[in-house]
Amino acid sequence: MYLVKELFHEHGELLDLKLVAGEAGIVNRIHVPEVQRPGLSLAGYLKNHAKKRILVFGKVEIEYLRHLTDAQRVSRLNAILTDKTPAVIVARRYRPPTELFQLCQERDIPLFRAKMTTMNLMSKLTLLLTDEFSPSISCHGSLVEVFGVGVLIQGDSSVGKSEAALGLIERGHRLISDDLVKVRLREGGYLEGFGAELSRHHMEVRGIGIINVANLYGAVCVREKKSLDIVVKLEVWDDSHFYDRVGIEEKTVTILGVEIPHHLLPVKPGRDVVLLLETIALNHRLKKMGYHSAKEFNTKLLSAIARKGKIRP
Amino acid sequence: MSEQTITKKVRVINELGLHTRPATLIVKLLQECKSEVTFTCKKETINARSILNILMLAAQKNALVTITVKGVDAHETMERLVESFESRFGEDLTNV
Repeated sequence: MYLVKELFHEHGELLDLKLVAGEAGIVNRIHVPEVQRPGLSLAGYLKNHAKKRILVFGKVEIEYLRHLTDAQRVSRLNAILTDKTPAVIVARRYRPPTELFQLCQERDIPLFRAKMTTMNLMSKLTLLLTDEFSPSISCHGSLVEVFGVGVLIQGDSSVGKSEAALGLIERGHRLISDDLVKVRLREGGYLEGFGAELSRHHMEVRGIGIINVANLYGAVCVREKKSLDIVVKLEVWDDSHFYDRVGIEEKTVTILGVEIPHHLLPVKPGRDVVLLLETIALNHRLKKMGYHSAKEFNTKLLSAIARKGKIRP
Repeated sequence: MSEQTITKKVRVINELGLHTRPATLIVKLLQECKSEVTFTCKKETINARSILNILMLAAQKNALVTITVKGVDAHETMERLVESFESRFGEDLTNV
C-alpha cells in the first residue's frame, strides 16, 4: 500500500511539490502507478475517466478552466474529483483556481503545486511511481559485485556465505548487502538487488561480530544497488551428489518471473570459494560476450571427431 | 515426529525494543533448535537465525512480531521464543 504521504515525504523535494490544500487527505492511498491529465474529462466527457489516477493540471487545463463560467467550473471539477482521486498536482507554478482549492479542501484530496513543466513532472512522477509499485521480494544471501557481475551467494546457515563475501571484498569486489537482499523487478525485465537501509554494508561474521565493511575497507568496496545476474548456492560437499562437471547445460532459477543463471557450488576444505566465485563471474561475462567455453570446447571436439571419421576410409 | 508449522503473534514488551542483546539471545536460543524460524514485522519477513536480520527490523516497544516456526521441534521452539519475549529478554526494568 503506497500513500500520498510517502510520495510527498520521499520524493516531494525532487518533484518540488508544495502542499496547498486538502492536508487531511495526505493519508490517501495511491491505487495505481499512473498519472493523468484530465483534459477531456474536464471538458465533460466522463466516459472511462480514470478515477484512481493522480490528476495533473497543466497549462491547457488551467487556461480552459479560466475560460469557463464559475458555475461550469464547479460542476466540471466536481465531476472529475472523486473519493478515489489520490491527489491533484498543478504544474508550472500555476495558482490553482479557487474552486479547485475549495473542492480539494472539502473532499480531503491533497492539492500540490509544482514548478516543473507538465510533461517533465508527468514523466518523473510515472517513473517514480512505477519504481515504487514494482514487485519485490527479500532473499536470504549476500549480494556482491564481482568484476561487474551481480552475484547472489546463497546457502544454508553457516556454510560460509559471509566469509566468501568478505574474501571477495578483500580482493577489491563490492558488497551490496549481506544476509538479506531485497530484490526488485525493474522496468526492462531485469532484477535489482539492494540492502535494507539499516543493515546496509554491515556484516556479521561468526567469532568477530558485526563489522562495517564501508568503514573497514573503504567506500570503494561497497555499492548501494546492483543488477542481479547470477545466483550461486554454496553447499557442503555431498559425495552422493553429482556436481556439474561440464557446464554445457545451463541451470536457471526463477525470481519474480525472471530466469537467472544458477550454479551449485560445493564447498569443502581446500576449495578456494573466493577464486571459484570469481571464475563463475568471469565465465558469465565471457558468455555475455558470446563465448561459451564449454560449448566452444564441444564444437572443437565434434569437429575433431568428424575429421577423424573422414580420414579413416 | 512430523514437521509442523505454527504461527503466533507476540508483542515486544521490553523498553528498548529488539536491540542487539535480545537479538543475540534469540539467535543463541535458536542454535539449539532444529526448526526454521521467521519473524514478520511491518510486512518484512526475516530469518530469525541471523542477528543482522533481526536488528534490521528495528522493532520498537509494543511492535507486533509474527513468529512462524516450521520443523520437528516447532512447539518447543515456539514456547521458548514466546517465553523470552514475555520475560523482556531478561531486561531488568530498574536498569533501563
